[in-house]
Amino acid sequence: MSEPRIRRAAVTGIGVVAPNGASTETFWKSTTEGISALERITREGCEHLPLRVAGLVRDFDPSAAIEERFLVQTDRFTHFAMAAADLALDDAQLHRPETDEAPFSVGVVTAAGSGGGEFGQRELQQLWSKGSRFVGPYQSIAWFYAASTGQISIRRGFKGPCSVVAADEAGGLDALAHAARAVRRGTEVIVAGATEAPIAPYSVVCQLGYPELSTVDDPTRAYRPFTSAACGFVPAEGGAMVVVEAEGTARARGARVRAHLAGHAATFTGASRWEESREGLAQAIRGALAEAGCAPEDIDVVFADALGVPEADRAEALAIADALGAHGTRVPVTAPKTGIGRAYCAAPLMDAATAVLSMEHGLIPPTPHVFDVCHDLDLVTGRARTAEVRTALLLSRGLMGSNSALVLRHGATDVSH
Amino acid sequence: MTDRITVEELAELMKKCTGVTVTPEELRRDDTAFAGLGVDSLGLLGIVGELENRYGTPMPTDAERSKSPRQFLDLVNSALLTGA
Repeated sequence: MSEPRIRRAAVTGIGVVAPNGASTETFWKSTTEGISALERITREGCEHLPLRVAGLVRDFDPSAAIEERFLVQTDRFTHFAMAAADLALDDAQLHRPETDEAPFSVGVVTAAGSGGGEFGQRELQQLWSKGSRFVGPYQSIAWFYAASTGQISIRRGFKGPCSVVAADEAGGLDALAHAARAVRRGTEVIVAGATEAPIAPYSVVCQLGYPELSTVDDPTRAYRPFTSAACGFVPAEGGAMVVVEAEGTARARGARVRAHLAGHAATFTGASRWEESREGLAQAIRGALAEAGCAPEDIDVVFADALGVPEADRAEALAIADALGAHGTRVPVTAPKTGIGRAYCAAPLMDAATAVLSMEHGLIPPTPHVFDVCHDLDLVTGRARTAEVRTALLLSRGLMGSNSALVLRHGATDVSH
Repeated sequence: MTDRITVEELAELMKKCTGVTVTPEELRRDDTAFAGLGVDSLGLLGIVGELENRYGTPMPTDAERSKSPRQFLDLVNSALLTGA
């Protein structure tokens, strides 16, 4: 096999810390079984707020996963990021000895919607209750949305190109695309992904102004996109990191190429203008397919954005039809996030992890809590569906108007023609 | 409260402010450096802030630039002595 002319970006490792599983294995098992992790929020300081239901990460002990000196200077969203990065690097068989030999060949890209709200709130409370002398210096970095990129690279000794994507929820997919571009430009490895921790009092209050937020208090009814009972979205914490690597480098070191980041495009149609997101999302899909060299018929599954707001759901269903034509009504569509919640930038990352695992297991996970679809989509509901998945299309939209589409192809796919 | 900061107190402060666990014996050694212990400049700034709050007196500005625990203790203790 001849070396492709363009360096292809391969996914060689996945790490997930999610509400339905604090390891990739439990996450996949819960996701395929359609087990919902949505629950009533009982977290201290949040009980009286009108947001009732969320996806909360359980069974995650930060002190078991991360050294204390990194814990004291970081927020929960960075704890998730460091832990997920470790899982992804272990999965890719990239350990300290290997990366220490060539630190400049490994970079980090993350996306985050809001940063470290819990840490920030604690320090601001110190400020207003005791005074500025009682605010710790780590406040300057911990609540910054870029913290996770910096801390992952410092902790693992990476010195390659590092970036942070600030582009709304869809920024999660944009971070993967940025990683692919960095690899094509010559970096060997990029640890890429997104994690969020928005379920703390200050952060929850910040979200209460979103008209799209679901305030329904029944976890089985709070987030039901594509149904006539759609009443908004449920937020979540957690996320995923992946190892993106030059395919040639990965194969040379004997790593398993799990998938290719084949195509991506992003558009912008304005905050909460959901009707207009139809055109923006359709255009993003066309751009991603064009870059991937895919025909609409090549798409084996669509991971929907699934906002859960009727006009946004309608716009997404129509965008899929606009961009994929007749195939759009036949292709299986799924939204496992209805059982996890929408973890802002991290939501499409968890979808990306699921997409890779779907290709490997030949199984499309279902959309929990959704049974009665009112759009012309073949939504996978009830139980997981067996299918040969070679190419997946991932969609994501942000509340502020970003639309992104990403095409992932199976690792064994030969597109060097 | 004593008028001198001991290695024991510094060890406790390092744990609290920077998450670094270190024995008082290590802090007594001349060749122990903050960088080697994993204490960065922000961490040291946090320790200085905590000391200022505890003792109610400003610490010398050079304290947060100390390279070693010995140097740090010499600086802050001389400041406390002068202040007393």
